[in-house]
Amino acid sequence: MLDVLTLFLFNIIVYNIPLLYGTTGEIMIEKSGSLNLGVEGTMAIGAVAGYLVGARCDNLFIACVVSFIASGLVGLLFSFLTVTLQANQNVTGLTITTFGVAFYYFVGNALSNSPEGWPKLSGTRLDAQSQAIHIPGLSDIPFIGKAFFSHGILVYAGILIAVLMWLYFKKTVPGLKLRAIGENPAAADSLGVNVALYKYAHIIVGSGIMGLGGLYMGLNMGGTFEGSNCWINGYGWISIALVIFANWSPAKAILGTFLFGFFNTLRVQNAALAYAFPNALGWLTKIPSHFFSALPFIITLIVLITSSLTAKGKSGEPQAIGRNYYREDR
Amino acid sequence: MRRYHLVRRADAKLNRTLIYYAIGLLVSLTIGAILLWALGINPFQYYGKMLTIGLVGNKYGYKSIEGLLKVFVPLLITSLALSLSFKMRFWNIGGEGEFLIGAICASIVAFNSSGMPNFVTVVLMCLAAMISSGIIGVAIAALKVKFNTNETLMTLMLNYIMLYVIRYIGDTKADWNFFLREDSERPIFGSFPESAMMGGIPLGKFKLLWAVIIAVLLTAIVYIYLKYTKHGYEISVVGDSAATAKYAGMGVGKIVLRTMFISSALIGLAAALAVSSAGTISDTITNDVGWTGIIVAWLSKLSVPAVFVTAILISILQYGCQAAATQYPAIDVNFADLLQGIILFSVLVADFAANFRLIKKEDAKNA
Repeated sequence: MLDVLTLFLFNIIVYNIPLLYGTTGEIMIEKSGSLNLGVEGTMAIGAVAGYLVGARCDNLFIACVVSFIASGLVGLLFSFLTVTLQANQNVTGLTITTFGVAFYYFVGNALSNSPEGWPKLSGTRLDAQSQAIHIPGLSDIPFIGKAFFSHGILVYAGILIAVLMWLYFKKTVPGLKLRAIGENPAAADSLGVNVALYKYAHIIVGSGIMGLGGLYMGLNMGGTFEGSNCWINGYGWISIALVIFANWSPAKAILGTFLFGFFNTLRVQNAALAYAFPNALGWLTKIPSHFFSALPFIITLIVLITSSLTAKGKSGEPQAIGRNYYREDR
Repeated sequence: MRRYHLVRRADAKLNRTLIYYAIGLLVSLTIGAILLWALGINPFQYYGKMLTIGLVGNKYGYKSIEGLLKVFVPLLITSLALSLSFKMRFWNIGGEGEFLIGAICASIVAFNSSGMPNFVTVVLMCLAAMISSGIIGVAIAALKVKFNTNETLMTLMLNYIMLYVIRYIGDTKADWNFFLREDSERPIFGSFPESAMMGGIPLGKFKLLWAVIIAVLLTAIVYIYLKYTKHGYEISVVGDSAATAKYAGMGVGKIVLRTMFISSALIGLAAALAVSSAGTISDTITNDVGWTGIIVAWLSKLSVPAVFVTAILISILQYGCQAAATQYPAIDVNFADLLQGIILFSVLVADFAANFRLIKKEDAKNA
């Protein structure tokens, strides 16, 4: 019975860390005052580029670098269009999603139909490197060891990125300047902050972080390309919701990831839980899985509405979000 | 010290914009051609296949036109509806969700309509869809007006909530669920009774559905509404500056609510026409019009005649890729999305080039 619970906790982490990557990446972008709705597409491009190059070189580190760069380039495109060319952020972001997911299918179909075929993951060194690391002592703790300390390197990296980003926003001068741009770019500009440079840098880095999440998803799916289902599978959209739920804080994003992950895992494992605890959790099977799928979006909608009802001061939402900054309009 | 300086052009000439857009389109098609060529596919043959949507040398060519129109009608109406809300800078990206609400409500009427006259049923379906979608649109607009809740994010959430609602309906076998076929063990959406099917004018083998005629009429109505009525003028003032509208004594809140009702109700209408033309509902009934509609509206710069033309072109692109996919296994329908993305990126660049120009700093000082 305890096994079921351990597996449940383990799965919450293992299947939902990509949400944390997507969310922290998007928080970094939104803090600069830009709303990038292209998370899904950015993750898809990072995933496919990182996986393909990583599989060719058979090295996880190279895979990570490539997906960071590939998604960073998508971020560069977004910043070029919205910061330099003043294009509408909603439209640009949505198009990045359309484009990115289509790119994933395009490359996948092309390779699957080619003589070499789609590279396989199982048995490669890349596979071994992305597997769980055994931490002496910690991993051996009963119950907790399996749930929390038996994960691949990318799980810990995701949490580390979130913590570092939280420190960056709170404790460093560039972090402070970034937040100032998100609140009021004209004011930040008049204080001598290079608004465009800050936006470019943070949009690119934020997109790169999303790419790592995409790569993680690909590796987690065993690296197999299916013609009908994208690896990212809507996680990019949930990440956008999670940013709101986490109130634009990377620290709260960790908690939010586990909460949304909890529902996500409940959807998959409700039968196992109900079977293990028939009296206490038997009712779980009666709830349709679609309800758990929709729950992140329902919760976020409620949070959006309730937080707009209460005082604006408490919200972490950058006040200039979604609006382009054009100096001449000042 | 930056040497160059961006200046918004004072005059926006239509000719210049069109030329830049054409260049953008050409560049995108060239990028697409390079991608095709990299896969060892002759781009001219592929594009030829795509642009003729499988008409050439096809005995059943009229079916291609019918299929194309089924893609075109919902896309056109949705794009028109979205342009209305975008014109007042209300970022309604909930086209998918509003479409699904309309589709579900129209289907409720349809599945319970056996024996009713066809005309009455279809009108009732349209009304049910328009009212239900419209109410959701007004609710979102009210939250925006009253509490300044972020409408982009609200409508985004709506899309996914509705997607899971329709999937739930489609996957759940139950006594109450009249959406599903009764004779099937597996849950499958049923077909509408004859009474709920969209009729049309037969032209030889080809049948021109009423939906197409309604869509074309609607384009004209929206054009007149925006251009020649007080409402249309109010929408454009609110879009230019909500503050100006307020000082001019306009009730901004009322205008936003009214326009969002019309916008969402139109999307509901698109959904009713789509389910009635298809004769059934499914979780892919939207065919992504809520997303594609945004791209169409933006490519058209929110101008109604341009929306009409762009919707035709994008429909040909999408339907053409479907038609071509039968011959080219390595390229599926997603190639249409890929091209659409590249086209929009190029057009965004073209739009910038048409509206801004770079001048040297010194010149700016002298000027």
